[in-house]
Parts: sequence; structure tokens; C-alpha cells
Amino acid sequence: MTKSADRDRARFEFNRRQFLGYSAAAGLAAGWLGSSAGVFADEKTGVDEATWTPDYINSIAGTIDVDTKAECAKVVPLDYKGKLTYWYVGPNQASTQIDKDLDVAFWKAFKETYPNIEVTFQNLDYNQMLDKARTAALGNAAPMLAKFPILWSVEFSAKGMLMPFGPQDVGMSNDDFWPGAMKSVTYQDKLYGIPTNNETMALIWNAAIFKEAGLDPETPPATWDDLVVYSKQIKDKTGKNGFGMVARANAGNTPFRFMPQLWAYGGGVLDEADPHPEYKTININNAGSKAALQASYNMYVRDKSVPTSALTNTQTENEDPFVAGQLAMMISHPTEYAYMIDRAKKATGADKQIADQVVANMRYGLIPKGPARRAVVFGGSSLHVFDKSVVDGGNVDIGAVKALAAFYCGPEWSTKMAWVSSNPGNLRGFRTKWMKQRLEQIKFLNVTTSMLPYGIPYPVIPESSEIMNIIVPGMLQNALTQKMSVADAAEDAAKKISDVLNGI
Amino acid sequence: MAIATTQTAVSGLERRPPRRPSLFRRIKEHWADYLYILPAIGVMVLVIGYPVYYTIYLSFFKTPPSLSMDQKTFTGLDNYALILTSSSFRDTTINTAIWTFFSTLFAFVLGLGAALALNREFVGRGLIRGLLLIPYVISAVAASYVWRWLYHSDFGVIGAIAVALHLSDHPINFLDNVHTVLPSLIVVNIWKEFSFAMIMMLAGLQTVPDQLHRAAMVDGAGPWDRFWHITMPHLKGVTLVTVLLMLVANLNGFTIPWIMTGGGPAGASDIWITQVYQLAFGRIRFGPASAYSVILFIVMMVLGYFYVRALGGREEREE
Repeated sequence: MTKSADRDRARFEFNRRQFLGYSAAAGLAAGWLGSSAGVFADEKTGVDEATWTPDYINSIAGTIDVDTKAECAKVVPLDYKGKLTYWYVGPNQASTQIDKDLDVAFWKAFKETYPNIEVTFQNLDYNQMLDKARTAALGNAAPMLAKFPILWSVEFSAKGMLMPFGPQDVGMSNDDFWPGAMKSVTYQDKLYGIPTNNETMALIWNAAIFKEAGLDPETPPATWDDLVVYSKQIKDKTGKNGFGMVARANAGNTPFRFMPQLWAYGGGVLDEADPHPEYKTININNAGSKAALQASYNMYVRDKSVPTSALTNTQTENEDPFVAGQLAMMISHPTEYAYMIDRAKKATGADKQIADQVVANMRYGLIPKGPARRAVVFGGSSLHVFDKSVVDGGNVDIGAVKALAAFYCGPEWSTKMAWVSSNPGNLRGFRTKWMKQRLEQIKFLNVTTSMLPYGIPYPVIPESSEIMNIIVPGMLQNALTQKMSVADAAEDAAKKISDVLNGI
Repeated sequence: MAIATTQTAVSGLERRPPRRPSLFRRIKEHWADYLYILPAIGVMVLVIGYPVYYTIYLSFFKTPPSLSMDQKTFTGLDNYALILTSSSFRDTTINTAIWTFFSTLFAFVLGLGAALALNREFVGRGLIRGLLLIPYVISAVAASYVWRWLYHSDFGVIGAIAVALHLSDHPINFLDNVHTVLPSLIVVNIWKEFSFAMIMMLAGLQTVPDQLHRAAMVDGAGPWDRFWHITMPHLKGVTLVTVLLMLVANLNGFTIPWIMTGGGPAGASDIWITQVYQLAFGRIRFGPASAYSVILFIVMMVLGYFYVRALGGREEREE
């Protein structure tokens, strides 16, 4: 054996010892961490992670009736007269017809409920809204109310541009919403918004490739360690890539797929996975984080069971190999099923046959768990009220604001407005007839919905996007290119995060 | 001697160039002309002048990640020190130098070669010229996405052809390898840019007198001698201008590295301009990003100075 091969083997064995060590340390911490998270979910929301299964979600749908008008009337009288300005990211040309129809229906229904409230709204493009809101707020021309994707509001809260506002202001309770969602609208222990909708991802796999590799086609990997093993077995037996890793630099897709792994092993960036995070303790270099990074290293470097192009791939680059039957597993949204159907429709000849088979064999399951927990990034949107000092005209019609917030965040419209790709922010929405209808229409929705109790939002600090989109992918790439060892990459990331938090 | 002195004095007087009026005097004498260009100057001050001023101003401040600009603090030259002493600056500077130098060199050489080939009449010349212009007119974003798939480490066309021709037993890893990523991006940049050099040099070749070539042929000069001693001297001016423009364009060349690799893997394709973008819009650090921009601006101003001198030199020669 050559000297370089000896070195490689030694490095692999050293890394394997390290990996086992990290996993053991992570496992010791896991029991305390896992039980804490579970207790929090049980006590606060009445949602038990263990029972919030796809079958349970199906069983509770359609069990309550909701009278939106009556519920809104308790908050703001239906004859209230007022004016409201409102910005949101709504449907665009590329959106599904049902999204566009529901948007129209929403405004019609609001007008019928509050005929004397005049709403001037702007439906903005996702890529433009944040900059437009920043500019407007700086120029004292902000709307009274805005619906922001999760965590966009942090910088506005930090600058004192948002008014304290929460579920209590519209006759609801914090317990009506997911803990992860409430964390995302809390800044320095004050509430600055109400969640409208939340979504998470799930594990998607191709049952036919599983069968080809000698795995049970209907059973996904239960743990991240299992996923590493499955990925290798698929590569060894079929020659196809196992897991669609995403490790591109400066890309939001990367932390969305790596953070669930990091949290599952008991790691994290800060203490965002804790029930009451303070965002001061750095966890990127703890044993759990290193174990998670080691698992990714094992898949990419040791086993070569994931796409070589993972370092430059976003999730978009996983979709074509998946529909071509060349990729076995990936993590993504419920809308991925609709994308695959769309791609299969556009395929021709032999490609169409393959694509149709992939769609028929597509399965959704829970994201694997780790020694500490099962986790997923908590996505969604929330309503926020701008402070009158930055609002156009210098005045906020708080009655009109509460009316729209009560209407939108109630069970009916938080369900309807999340129809295609999300879930109601209001937990009561899961019990409505509209949720039942959605579950009947949208395949796999019950699976991604069942991931919600495990949702963890990114740290609610202004530095979050720098840490998540630059430092975390950088750490991953440093380890996977072997520019640094796993341990060094984690320590390097910890130093960078420390510098960021200290304003360096 | 007196006559000689007088003659010398007269000829000295004749030889001294007339004193150029001052800028203020020129504006005063031609005030109406300047009024015509005042709106354009106003727009330039607004969209170029003010952003340049504000960037330089911001480079001396530390800005908070929450973008509360009223909370920015004056830090003097700290941002410059931070950048120049950072561990990534050395690597990024080396990447930038390699990217700029080799992109410019090979795009120029390829463009010159194409221009020389197209400078003679042959059947299909117009069609070939049109085809060779395609890379230049295609949008850089579209080209980057297409090349990303051509280079794809798992399913790329280039890798598949290499496997089919038994040049490799597995797809080639172009973009996901820290050693091959920058040369791969440079190839894309050369492909995109050489047409510009081709057009510039083709225009320059029209100024080379044909009778010089014929005379040299009569004297027994071979193709290389004619090229080196006749063609290239005539192309000096346009060569300098073309190379300078390409250097500036490549220093600013953001699209290809950003879209194809995002500066990765592990910073192996990070250049100054992608670092500036990442600092400003990824890390929300407008102070250091502005300082980085000022450093880049200074380098380009130096290149711009030589460009203006080269242009001025051409105009004097033509006069």
C-alpha cells in the first residue's frame, strides 16, 4: 500500500475514532436536551411530539367549526371605521392558480367582514420586499402592517422600528401558536409579531432505489447515522448517489439542510435549540456539532455516497437528478412533489418513463433524528406592526391593524392562505374543515405537517443571516474539502461566530 | 553673434507652445457649451459621484448589522487594517491576481488570433465572425448557468464526453475541487471575453497598411517577421487600450464566480469583488465592504490613469 493510502487510512481511522467519541459525548447530552424540548412542547401547546403523527393530523382535521366573523368581532367591532396600509409577499405570475384565487378571496372576505376598513395593500416580490421595507422605514414611509418571512423582523425590532404586538392583542394566546414560531417573533423578551403560517421540510426518498439497494422501500432511515449507512449502501449497490447533500457557499439552502442534522446530534450555532434561548452561548464547536459535521464528512469524503457537486449545489440542482432516478434521498418542502409532477410532464421519450416511475415511487417521511432530538428548520411568516415614528403619515390605526391581524391569524384564513406550501400558524387551523380538504388534495402534506413540533427557528439576532448563510456553509466546506479537519473547521466557525457577536 | 542671438531668440519664441488657458477661463469662455452637458454632469454626480463619496465616507465607520446607520461609529483606518491583515485577504488577492491576469492574457491572445484569421477574405467569413461573437452577446448570467451544468461534477457534458472517449474513468470534478475551480472559471471567462478582444483587434488591423506587408514580402520577410515587425507595432495603441479595458472588466468580474460557485469551495474562487459583495450583502458589514471597495477603486483608478494616457497618446500620434 502506498504511503498516501496509509495516510488516508490513518486519517479515516482517526476520524472514525473521533466520530465515535463525538457521538458518545453528544449522546450523553442528548437525554437531557431531548427531554427538555419534549416537555416544553407538551406543556405549552398541548401538542405531544410523540402523537403528532401523520395519522393523528388526519384524525383531528375537520373536527371544529370556526366562525371567523364572530371571533373577529370580539377583538374589533365589525362596524369599525378605519384605514390601514399593508405590505406582504403574495402570489405572483408563477404561483399556482389556487394561491391567486385565495388571495382574491381573502380580500373579498375581509371587506365583507369589515366593510368600513379601507386597506391599501401592496403585494411585493420576495426578492424586493426586504430592501423596500428597509428603505421605507428609514424614510418614515413604512406601512402600518407587514407580513414578513420568518426572521426578517429581527433587524427592525433591533432598531426599535416595530411596535410590541402579540397574540394577546387580537384575543389569542401564545399557546395557540408553535413555540418555535413564538421564538421567532420574540426579541429581547418582547413580542413583536403574530405568526401567520409555518412550514418545515421532510425527508423525501425514491422507494424504487431503496428496493434496488436491498433496503425496505417503505421505511426511511430512522436516525442520521442510519442515513449515512443507507447513503453508502445505495451508492455501493446501485452506483447512484444516496443523499442529496447541499453544501454551497453563501446559500440559504445549505443551513436549511445542515442545521437539522446539527441540532439532531445535540449541536447548534448558539443555544437556539433550547426552550428559552439567550443567544449568547456558542455551540458550533461542541461535541454534537462536531459529530454532525463528521457525519457529513463521512458521506462526502469517506464514502463518496453524495453528489460530488454538493459543494456548488443548491436544492434546485438536486431536483433533476432525483427525477431522473439518479438520487435516492433529499430534504425539501411539500411542494417538491408538485415540482416533480411538473418535471415529469415536461419530460419526453425514455426520460418521461423514468420520471413517471420516480413520481410513483416518491415517498415522504420524517427527517431522521439524532442522539439529541429530531429537528427541522422552522420556516414561515408573521405579521408585524411598524412603530408610528416610521410609518407614512406618522400614525398607526391600531383598530384596523388588530382587525386584519385577528382575521388573518384566525384558524380559517391562516389555513387557507397557507394552502399550497405551508401550514396554518394558528394551531386550531389544523382542526378545521379546510385543513381536512387540504390533506385530501395535497399528497404528503400530513408528513411535513407532522414535522412542525420539531421546528427550531434560527437564532433571533440581527447577525443570524451572516452566521447561517456564510459561517455555517463555510465550516461545512472547510471540512468537506479537507482544507481543515472536522474539529478545526468547527473551532474556526466558533471563532468567527464569536467575532461576529462581539462586533468584530 | 547678436544676429544669431536674435535668430535664436526669435526661433525660441516660435518654438514655445502657446500657454493653455486655465480651466476656469475655458469654462467662462464656453459657458454655453457647458450648460448643454450640465444635466448629464448632474446625473453623473447623483448616480456616480455621490455613491463614490458615500462609500469612501462609510469606509471609515463601523456599521451595526441591524443597519441602524445613526449608530455607526467612526473607526478611522480600522476597516482598512482589518481587511489588509485578515487571513483571507492574502488568498483572495492571489485569486484575484490569477483570475485577472490569466483571463486577460488568454482572452487577448485568443481574440488576436481570431482577428488575424478573420482579417483575410474567405468564404463564410461573415458567418464565422457572427458565431464567434455569440459568447460576447450572451448574458453572463445565462452563460454561467449553462457552464455550471457543462462542468457539473456528476452529470456534466464535459465529464461524460471524457468518460465516453476513455480519457477518464469517472466524471471530472471541475468546480468542487479547490485546485481546479479557479482555472475552470477562468476558461469560462476567456470564452466569454475573447470576442471583445477579437473585435477591437480586428478594428485595429484595418489600420495596418497593406503595402507594408507587400513590400516586406518582396524583401523576403516571412509571416512571423511581418506580424512582429509590421502588424504588432501598428496595434500597440489598440492593444494597450484593449488590455486595460479587459483588466478593469476582469477585476470587476462578479457574475461568473458568484453564480457558478458562490466563491467556494472553501474560498478557492473568492476574488475581491465577491468578497465585497459578501461583506456588504451577506454579512451586512458596510464599513469593511466600503473599505474593500475603496482598495479596489484605487487599483482601478491606477489602471484608468494608464488607459487615459494611452488614449491621449493615440490622439497625439493621430494629430
